[in-house]
Amino acid sequence: MTTTLQHAPTKAGGGLARRQNFLTALISGVVFAWLAWYIGRHTLDTTTRSFSDQVAVLTACGWTVGFWFGIGALNGPGRWLTGRDHTRADDLYYAGENQGRARYWKYCTDHKVVGVQYIIMTMVLLGTGGILAMAIRTQLLTPGNHFVDQQVYNGFIAVHGMLMILALIVAVAGPWANFVVPIMIGAHDMAFPRLNALSLWTLVAAAGLLLTTLAVGSLPVGWVVLAPISNQAGVGMDFFAMAIIVFTVSTTVAGINTIATVMTLRTKGMTLSRLPIFVWGSVIAAALGLYAFPYFLTVEAIQILDRTVSTSFFVATGGGAGWLQANLFWLMGHPEVYVILIPAVAALFEIAAVMSRKPVFSYRTAIAGMTGLAGLSILVWAHHMFTTGWAPTLGGPFMLTTELISIPTGLFFLVLLGTLWRGNIWMKLPTLWLFGFVFNFIIAGITGIYLSDIPIDNQLHGTMFVTAHFHYVFVGSVLFGAIAALAFWFPKVSGRYLDETQGKISFWLVFIGVQVTFLAMFTSGLRGMPRRYSSYSMIFEHTNFVTTMGAYMIMAGMLVLLGAVISSWRKGEPSGPNPWQANSLEWLVPTPPPLENFDVLPTIKEDPYNFGGKR
Amino acid sequence: MATNTLTAQHEEHHDGGHHEPPAKVYGRQKMAMWLFIGGDIITMSAMLFTYLYLRGLNTQNHWMSMVGLPVDKVHTYSYYENLSDIPTQHLIHVAPMSPSFNWLVTGVVVVSALIFWAAERNLRKTKNRAAFTWSAVLATLIIVVAAVLSIVQLRHLPQIFVAKNDSHTLSYTAYSSSMMVIIGSALVHFILLAYLGLAMVIRSARGVLTGEKWHHAGLVRLFWVWVAVSGVIVSAITTTVNVH
Repeated sequence: MTTTLQHAPTKAGGGLARRQNFLTALISGVVFAWLAWYIGRHTLDTTTRSFSDQVAVLTACGWTVGFWFGIGALNGPGRWLTGRDHTRADDLYYAGENQGRARYWKYCTDHKVVGVQYIIMTMVLLGTGGILAMAIRTQLLTPGNHFVDQQVYNGFIAVHGMLMILALIVAVAGPWANFVVPIMIGAHDMAFPRLNALSLWTLVAAAGLLLTTLAVGSLPVGWVVLAPISNQAGVGMDFFAMAIIVFTVSTTVAGINTIATVMTLRTKGMTLSRLPIFVWGSVIAAALGLYAFPYFLTVEAIQILDRTVSTSFFVATGGGAGWLQANLFWLMGHPEVYVILIPAVAALFEIAAVMSRKPVFSYRTAIAGMTGLAGLSILVWAHHMFTTGWAPTLGGPFMLTTELISIPTGLFFLVLLGTLWRGNIWMKLPTLWLFGFVFNFIIAGITGIYLSDIPIDNQLHGTMFVTAHFHYVFVGSVLFGAIAALAFWFPKVSGRYLDETQGKISFWLVFIGVQVTFLAMFTSGLRGMPRRYSSYSMIFEHTNFVTTMGAYMIMAGMLVLLGAVISSWRKGEPSGPNPWQANSLEWLVPTPPPLENFDVLPTIKEDPYNFGGKR
Repeated sequence: MATNTLTAQHEEHHDGGHHEPPAKVYGRQKMAMWLFIGGDIITMSAMLFTYLYLRGLNTQNHWMSMVGLPVDKVHTYSYYENLSDIPTQHLIHVAPMSPSFNWLVTGVVVVSALIFWAAERNLRKTKNRAAFTWSAVLATLIIVVAAVLSIVQLRHLPQIFVAKNDSHTLSYTAYSSSMMVIIGSALVHFILLAYLGLAMVIRSARGVLTGEKWHHAGLVRLFWVWVAVSGVIVSAITTTVNVH
């Protein structure tokens, strides 16, 4: 029968693992990075043009290996190699048994701890990216402003973009595919708990590399890392590329774990047709990520080779082409949008059902919409290259596939609105953010159709219109979905409600801020203002001023939300185990859930959305 | 509270997390391995896409224009009129290697995969741990040979001499670049296989891996065979869609 924690032996062997934590990881990472830098400086050929790039890549490798070593990620592989597998006591130790809050700073394998670590990591990434956004908007407050110089501005653009992308990739899937999905399907933990911890801490290592780019050199490449200009960038480019490679390791590991967990650890009676819709969203996004991110790894790996050993992938004089980079990048880049979006939408389906006391409207349509979106997303990459001159004859087919995306996206609206329609809607904080999502996602979707149209794209490509469009997708839609998910599952994590008053203040500040910021940015774009410039013509002065004011409003709203999270976690109103009176398994376990979730695994007899319309 | 439609029943025999039969754990691990191989297939596709894309472009006829020419002609390309003007440190002596060399490396990997496959199968059937250990040693040594051959291959990729921004450098052509990433990726896989093979040897020698507890060997076999298959695919493409 189930071996519960209370009955298990608790003495784990080995002293090293007990001393490893985030601090030792940082120290070890820095020491290994310094050693790698030192060895590189003294062994590599200083006369070659790429000497500094070679040293930078070696340093980045040193940091990553050192960080893994310091946090304890290499303990498992080392012990497996030598045939000294972890004992049950070891596993319980790594799961953080009886370690209190210290486990949140360690290589902890408990999926709930990893989920909370992802929440914190997401907030750190969003916060840092947000500060850079404020710096960018402050620079653009007036024409010819000198808040930062052009080189620094370029670096801010690239790092802001990539930080926000990383943050949003993990914003929903990181915390909630870890914290709630194993409980939702009736499992004790993820399929591979150590890989779960590895994915989290590898993300931390990648973030460290990304932030290093700000210190070591400018990046005139945008977040899309354009070639061949990437070959001319400073050593910051090497850390940037290494950060992405390390990040792809993290997402690949996380994706495999999520899919294997759902496919193999569902409890008895939890058939695929009874899965909570969020679980479907998590699996589809993970599968799409497994498809997309290897391209990211490849394109950054060959970018590093171009810079360090003089290959010619993107250098025309050696037979290469910048279009190769664009193709490989966007083969990843467009699916990646849906890796980000699908978990957020799936969480909103879940919230809509619970908050309107109705089943998910047309459950199978919801799955078809997510699957269709994932499938189509791998066939549209070249619409990002309409203006590059690459394969003009393929423009028509790619325009068609891009416009077909409207169909599964339309299914999302159908499911969301159908679920809410005539429901007994509970107008709480998660619902508010859900409505905000619906409003913003309409604007995001419609402006996307304009950009998929080649004649219009020829006019708008490279303008602030595009910037406004994808910010409506990422900020107006995904971020709203992520915050709705946070408000919804916060009581399960903390045992307390997220403060409604502060939450509503935050919502209105962010919601109005998004409209002010990005509608004004659409106007700038329609009038021809180009992206990625640190200064602009006087004719764009007013719309840029409005945009910057709106951006400050968003930041204010996010700070209020941060305050709400901290204060509610410490002394918010207690929520009990099932504040939304939901039926899925995560609400039927105690709050906080015990280490292994269930003393005895449940058997599922019905789907989780039979509310009978009552509250 | 709304109707609770989920029923928790205490069932003694249904426990997803602990004391699972090895076959069930193996099934889960096998799925993860297949997913990993799936990601690996996409990575390989991206590299082959790169190879075929640059081959198709053949920008400025630099796909393979220098391969097969004498080294002195390679180095006089585009910058120096006379061979004697080339600085000594830039005179490298790299003889271009036939793309067919890929088949040699692949052949070695296939042999190692077959040995490991047979060893794992034999372990399951005959429970002969000693035979498995020695077979794993042999397979691992052979994969180390493949790694060494890959390094030799990397060191023989042809380079050209190009001028850049008032300076000059030796660069890899598009062909060499594409081959470098493919061979480099294979080398990473060989190193990973060497680690896995070594683990198999140690675990078997220590009695952790036995005729009854063979499952990790099954996982390693799966990956080993995939690396061999991917080698065949890559060799077939790089020798048929090739030079001139």
